[in-house]
Amino acid sequence: MQIKPILTALRHHKAGTVLIVVQIALTLAIVCNALFIIHQRVAQLSQPSGLEEANLIRIQNQWVGKADDKAYGSLMATDLATLRRLPGVADAYATNSVPLSGGGWSMSLRLKADQSAPSAQTAIYFSDDHTLSTLGLKLVAGRNFRADDIRPMSAKDDLLHPAVIIVTRTLADKLFPTSTAVGKTVYLANHVSTIIGVVERMQTPWLGMSWGSAASTLVPFRLLTDGTNYVIRTQPGQLDRVRRSAPEALFAQNRMRVIPDQHGVETFRQIRADAYASDRGMAILMAVICVMLLAITAAGIVGLTSFWVGQRRKQIGVRRALGATRGDILSYFLTENLLIGMGGVLLGIALAIGLNLWMVTRFEMQHLSLWYVLAGAVALLLLGQGAVLAPALRASRVPPVEATRSV
Amino acid sequence: MLKMTHLSKVYRTEVVETYALRDFNIDVKEGEFVAVTGPSGSGKTTFLTIAGLLETFSGGEYHLDGIEVSNLNDNARSKIRNEKIGFIFQAFNLIPDLNVFDNIEVPLRYRGMKGAERKQRIMESLERVGLVSRAKHYPAELSGGQQQRVAIARALAGGPRLLLADEPTGNLDTQMARSVLELIEDIHRDGATIVMVTHDPELAARAQRNVHIIDGQVVDLAEEPRFHTHADAAAQTHP
Repeated sequence: MQIKPILTALRHHKAGTVLIVVQIALTLAIVCNALFIIHQRVAQLSQPSGLEEANLIRIQNQWVGKADDKAYGSLMATDLATLRRLPGVADAYATNSVPLSGGGWSMSLRLKADQSAPSAQTAIYFSDDHTLSTLGLKLVAGRNFRADDIRPMSAKDDLLHPAVIIVTRTLADKLFPTSTAVGKTVYLANHVSTIIGVVERMQTPWLGMSWGSAASTLVPFRLLTDGTNYVIRTQPGQLDRVRRSAPEALFAQNRMRVIPDQHGVETFRQIRADAYASDRGMAILMAVICVMLLAITAAGIVGLTSFWVGQRRKQIGVRRALGATRGDILSYFLTENLLIGMGGVLLGIALAIGLNLWMVTRFEMQHLSLWYVLAGAVALLLLGQGAVLAPALRASRVPPVEATRSV
Repeated sequence: MLKMTHLSKVYRTEVVETYALRDFNIDVKEGEFVAVTGPSGSGKTTFLTIAGLLETFSGGEYHLDGIEVSNLNDNARSKIRNEKIGFIFQAFNLIPDLNVFDNIEVPLRYRGMKGAERKQRIMESLERVGLVSRAKHYPAELSGGQQQRVAIARALAGGPRLLLADEPTGNLDTQMARSVLELIEDIHRDGATIVMVTHDPELAARAQRNVHIIDGQVVDLAEEPRFHTHADAAAQTHP
């Protein structure tokens, strides 16, 4: 190999070499961290909600005019009966919130009444005996709510005391890591509740909560208030039809309501898209930055090597005259680029880790996996070799007779 | 050692064909020291580049050390250049980014020679040209004469059978030119075949034999003296 003479020669082209080394290093540092952020965002995006999302619609209903709690109860019951009868509807229920919607209730849970620190934090979903079938939640232990478990709750009642609850497996495992949760009691506020069932998964309404994204509790209450969410599961292929017919049916039933133009009737797909819009945007932005940086670096390598090939045309001719084959010349430029690339990659690894540590302290980012750095390093070396190939091939075609030509 | 028979070299463009060499015949025996003279544009340098396998030719035959070279591929030509031929150029052609030692090492590396042998050969050839103390110097730090001696050391290190020199003293003052020529004569005495292209009649007189080229052909001055009215006539052009 010709590593030593190449390094010696590079000392005479310090400015160009240093520029490319720094460019590669910065690209590696930024691309590694950007890819890591993209990966995290994509992991976030691809978290399952636990719901059978494909056929779900949410309608936000607001009653107009004052009514008492009892009236809200009967209005809601009539609406639900109307919706469940509607052609194309598989099931429906009323609730305060749905996963990923961004708004909802959360409470702390205790295992003992006199416990000062809570055992867990949980999202609270108002549910009934139709909730599991509407959302497609999978019951993994215990039983579903029965119709006689469901009780009305006024918005004025500030204390929640359900006799029975259903929790997600995430929450059950956290509360009772070694035994089954079904049949156990927990304290919501100061009231004891018995866990009667465990569902496999149900995401909370919020993203990025420190206590987890799937610690949820279903309580058997119908919330009597002027605003509610109706969640409808349609039969397969009926989503668009029900999306139009459901609000029409509700207005036909009772006109004294408002269903907002924006977000009033939404499929779960839209709710998911809205919830993750910033994550997706960030991932796309990072990807665009990565692609641009890589393209700029590749262009820099092509530019500098092309310049060097032009500058060293005579020298290449001399080398050919002295016995270098085309392969020798090609390998000279590839090796030269590999050495520069390795310099850049070594510096880049240090920068990537440094940048990540800075973001860990400043923005609570996670520690960068070393695999990203290694994969980034290999990718940049390959990119360098790819970028240098065309000018290196051009160099290898310089004829030996170039040695005899005057500059 | 070097035998060209009816060799021709034509440069073609869309409109003209220019003969740089035409029906060119030369036979240089092993161990000979031949000076090639002729006016500018007569084809001297073209002859040298073809002799050194730096360029291909258009017709005829060329045997180098018994090998017919016209059918050799690029790699085989590179190998012959590397192993059998030493070049000395008018402009020295040292690689400016490499020091004297590394410059001389270039052809030896292409030969795939081991480090220890390379070093031994480099030091021997530097000793021969009297520049051992300059091994770590860069070409820009040397005088023209010293640079040419480094170029000769680079040519010598490979142990070439044939040394091709293109105006080796053209860029040097008289004193330096004399020392370079003495070095070339020294190499000849050791058995190498030398073909030297030169303008300088005094230099040519030091060779065993002179070959004169006019208009791309070898002219025997002794047998057929002829005046060339245009000393700088270009090679003949055929539309």
